[in-house]
Amino acid sequence: MRSSNLGFFLREALKNLRLNLLMSVTAATTTVICVLILGLGLVTYSHVGAFLDSIGRDISMTAYFPEDFSSERVEEVRENVEAYPEISEVRYVSKEQALEDFKETLSEQPDIVEGLPGDVLPASLEITLNNPGDSGAVVQRLQDEGFGEDDLRRNEELAESFETFAYWIMLILGTVTALFLLASVLLVSNVIRLSIFARRKEIEVMKLVGASDGFVRTPFVLEGLVQGLAGATLAALLVAWANSAFVDWAREALPLVPVASGAGKILLVVLILLATGILIGIAGSYFSVRRFLKV
Amino acid sequence: MIYFENVTKVYGGDVVALKDVNLGVEAGEFVFLVGASGSGKSTMMRLILKEMEPTRGAISVDGAKLSAIPRRYVPKHRRNIGCVFQDFKLLPNKTAAENVAYAMEVTGQKRRAIRTRVPQILELVGLGGKKGAYPGQLSGGEQQRVSIARAFVSQPPILIADEPTGNLDPDTSVGIMQLLHRINRIGTTVLVATHDREMVDVMRKRVVALEEGQVVRDMAKGGYTSEV
Repeated sequence: MRSSNLGFFLREALKNLRLNLLMSVTAATTTVICVLILGLGLVTYSHVGAFLDSIGRDISMTAYFPEDFSSERVEEVRENVEAYPEISEVRYVSKEQALEDFKETLSEQPDIVEGLPGDVLPASLEITLNNPGDSGAVVQRLQDEGFGEDDLRRNEELAESFETFAYWIMLILGTVTALFLLASVLLVSNVIRLSIFARRKEIEVMKLVGASDGFVRTPFVLEGLVQGLAGATLAALLVAWANSAFVDWAREALPLVPVASGAGKILLVVLILLATGILIGIAGSYFSVRRFLKV
Repeated sequence: MIYFENVTKVYGGDVVALKDVNLGVEAGEFVFLVGASGSGKSTMMRLILKEMEPTRGAISVDGAKLSAIPRRYVPKHRRNIGCVFQDFKLLPNKTAAENVAYAMEVTGQKRRAIRTRVPQILELVGLGGKKGAYPGQLSGGEQQRVSIARAFVSQPPILIADEPTGNLDPDTSVGIMQLLHRINRIGTTVLVATHDREMVDVMRKRVVALEEGQVVRDMAKGGYTSEV
């Protein structure tokens, strides 16, 4: 394309958009639906992912210090454990703290804990893993430190079933989004094809007076680009708005659930959506026109 | 200028549109192609434009063998041939001037050249005052004049017209034929497919008659039928 033609192509595209306003609006609206589905899918995916991640991080194991550990030994083990690479967090719970926690749990029935000696409960380490799958390795290290099998309480089964659960949730979410996206892409390409079908005579005439394929196609592709961009912009604004509304609501209504505001993530999502809209518009027009160029 | 050598065209395997046609049109000639509907006139026009390929035989136009022209050079080939159709084939969303200008724009000509040439050619076809009118606002004869202006604006060596007066009344038809005649007189090879008997008889040009896909008569200064 020569640069002097660009002005001509742009004028043609804008004129055609105006003349075929109804079809242009239909194509743009369909693109909104398509991009909106993708956007909501991506945002849901990232929120659910972040939420599952934060639960996963809470999965921990507890190591109770055996009676025969001296306080120096307890201190030494504590330092060793803190250095394990698989571990994200270690909390030392002293005997006194353990009793405190126990009393708090049973605050409704204070008489049960009345008069218990201060050292009735063992001190322990509450260990949070980076990855639930590493629990086997950590157990091995702790046993090397001298912990007995009974001293370790781990939530291995829970951890494994949680992993599976998270995996399926994400898989289902991903599949549903992909299916909706596929359906809406087909819808958009059909709308574009219809609008170009209505103008197939024009294309034929252009070819008969000696226009090359590219010369006929370029204004159509520019139209597709404008329609796609318009639809995607609207959809992206809706998604960004829905996301911030959800985050505000969740902070208010579900204070205990960690919700990622993900300002950076939403920017990425918006960019993905704009790119998708433009791509759908360009590709839809390009392939629809191609069918009518064989004159 | 235009040569058909043993050209046969079969549609869909069993409909024979042209049967072993041989025809030569020299540069600067004016030729009428006559015959009933379905005799193969339009098929010859479409073959010249390389809208489709012959089943057998060879066609050459302006020195080029059509079968040797690759698909991407077809637009270039068509710019050598101005086309006029029975149904005008104007772009409905463009004014008369824009329709004519489009034929120059596809060849990548400069805007300044387009701006000076388009009004000239519209003046020539007698539509100087209707540059801004859309095809829907023009009569059939006026639309056909726009279509001729578009076909001729880049001064192609060949102009082909498929039933150019088929949709027009006799008076209007005379004007259109005069226009084609004038274009021929400045050296353009003109090929007109028609079944407008009166026109052919009056103009006294070379007449090639087709019947069921075969050339049955070819005479200089002929009439529509052999008796005249």
